[in-house]
Amino acid sequence: MNAERKTGEIELVNLTKRYGETVAVAGVNLTIPHGSYCCLLGPSGCGKTTILRMIAGHETPTSGDIRIGGSSVVGQPPVRRGTAMMFQSYALFPHLSVLDNVAFPLKMRGLDRDRRHAAAREILSKVGLERFAERLPAQLSGGQQQRVALARSLITNPRVLLLDEPLSALDEYLRLRMRGELRRIQREFGITFIHVTHTQLEAIAVADMLVVMDQGRIEQASGPREIFDQPRSPYVARFIGGQNVLGGIVESVADDITLLKGDQGARFAIRTNGSRPALGSRLYFAIRRDRVSLSRAVENETSSTIPNFVRGTVHAIEYQGSYVKVTVDVPGLEEFVANVSDGAYFVDPLEIGQPVLANWKMEDVHRLEGDEQASTAQPRLETALS
Amino acid sequence: MASLRHGPRPWTFYALATFFALFVLFLYGPMIVIYVLSFQGPNGGMTFPINGFSLHWFKALIEQERTGDIAGAFRRSLVLACIVGALTVLLSVMAGLGFRRRFRGASFVFYMAIASLIMPGLFVSLGIGIGFQMLGIAPAWYTSALGAQLTWTLPYGLLIMFAVLGRFNRAYEEAATDLGASNWQRLTQVTLPIVLPGIIGVALFGFTLSYDEFPRTLLAAGSTNTLPLEIWAMTTNVTSPALYAVGTVTTIVSFIVIAAALTAIALIERRRLRRISAAERTIGED
Repeated sequence: MNAERKTGEIELVNLTKRYGETVAVAGVNLTIPHGSYCCLLGPSGCGKTTILRMIAGHETPTSGDIRIGGSSVVGQPPVRRGTAMMFQSYALFPHLSVLDNVAFPLKMRGLDRDRRHAAAREILSKVGLERFAERLPAQLSGGQQQRVALARSLITNPRVLLLDEPLSALDEYLRLRMRGELRRIQREFGITFIHVTHTQLEAIAVADMLVVMDQGRIEQASGPREIFDQPRSPYVARFIGGQNVLGGIVESVADDITLLKGDQGARFAIRTNGSRPALGSRLYFAIRRDRVSLSRAVENETSSTIPNFVRGTVHAIEYQGSYVKVTVDVPGLEEFVANVSDGAYFVDPLEIGQPVLANWKMEDVHRLEGDEQASTAQPRLETALS
Repeated sequence: MASLRHGPRPWTFYALATFFALFVLFLYGPMIVIYVLSFQGPNGGMTFPINGFSLHWFKALIEQERTGDIAGAFRRSLVLACIVGALTVLLSVMAGLGFRRRFRGASFVFYMAIASLIMPGLFVSLGIGIGFQMLGIAPAWYTSALGAQLTWTLPYGLLIMFAVLGRFNRAYEEAATDLGASNWQRLTQVTLPIVLPGIIGVALFGFTLSYDEFPRTLLAAGSTNTLPLEIWAMTTNVTSPALYAVGTVTTIVSFIVIAAALTAIALIERRRLRRISAAERTIGED
């Protein structure tokens, strides 16, 4: 019983936060298992940072409950929750040395100088910074500052570490290295990490559990592979990327195959496993970019009536190393992209303006939930500024 | 492509340089004349020519022959400036921290505090002086004059603290709370040390504004004078270079105060640098 209370399992129950008229978090329910690496992902203003700050105790929920290890922590100061937060700016105290920064939480708890410095040196060596103990934060690089902030958060043995956009202040190279480092440290300490980010690839790379958010609500919470492979809604598919989102009107349903009529006359065949969509309703589906194959279109070909073929012209070609990203202008679609493996592509390279046929196998199609409104809500793309 | 740096300077350079030289002369010339004349010989007068060189008039100051209680006024002014500086720091730091919360009526309180900057100083002191008399309390430099000076230094201190705290990142405080600091620990170990240079600035401002404050003190100082009031009195009844000696001494005191403040800042800086270089030595070839 007691051991269970110490776990870093987090439960959000109907969690809501309003600022005047604005709803930042709208009744979120979520359980994050103990010892998992959870990423909250979404565009800025989707409420992810607010959730993090409410778990940390820097923000008070308007209603709902937050439970850590089974007991409610609402109203408790951060230190009694067993959480530690790593700030986006790291918030290392500029007037204290690295050693004193890391020892700060122990000093607040009244540990004497020798004992807290010994503990700080030990944890600094775990993040490989013991040589920098006497330096001031301003003398460290961004990556080193981040590791100091990490060491400072971990020195009190929290059960939950909350990371607010931890990698956004770093350059590309360091970002890749540090996200591996974060994952390694999470495994080593075995505690719950909650990591807020708006970068999809970062989230997919580190998380056990991915929570995609939009406008204060959870769109989908699941493992990264499920989210990437089986996005629930057009919003999630578009936000997570790597997918083409298409839709059409149900024309006929036979066995478990449904035939859709696209806006420009193209036909799509998708599996609807068991369910029988109503004729005339609108369905959405996603097809991964790397499951699309391209071929040169012959003029006046009537292939547009064959299911899962769309006709368009090559709009842009980007060489990405192991694959080539071909953007195809398809009338009636906002964006259609095929990622062609470099081997296949360079056998017969395409030119911009070339008419092409794109097609895919029915097995690769993933049906999406959601209505028309959800599909037109575009995820807002954003810069590194949060 | 002719580089400006190698070509002849334009005539505007000489015109502006001359103007600046005149400005500097106007700024410091009279003061320098006073410093020079304060070293007049015992038979020297208030004007040139210099009649010998001596410290006679400085001695006259201390002995208070023919001069007023200049030593007492100096001591009072120094003590008053220290009290005003300390109170200005205490009150403006607390007010600055308090104003970060947008409490009800915050802007009203703020404008009330700032409004005293534009009130005519003489009337502030007149009002305070009369007020004290009406209440039957004798005005004195350490009561009524102290309050009068605070009406002048507090708005400045508050404005400086607004600027200082405006640049202060609240994440430091949240981090401190997150790491287990109590409110008091957060204030004394994180917030105040980080804004310390700004606080020294407020103290220096409070001290110097008080040290040469005249209009607000004039009618509120009671029976004993502060230094500026004493000097003002001397200009009307002392007709010897002792007056200039006062100018020299007070200038030296001002310089000492500024030098002390700068030394304090330099010492903090040097201690930091020493720590940095020590750290670099231990790291070696990193």
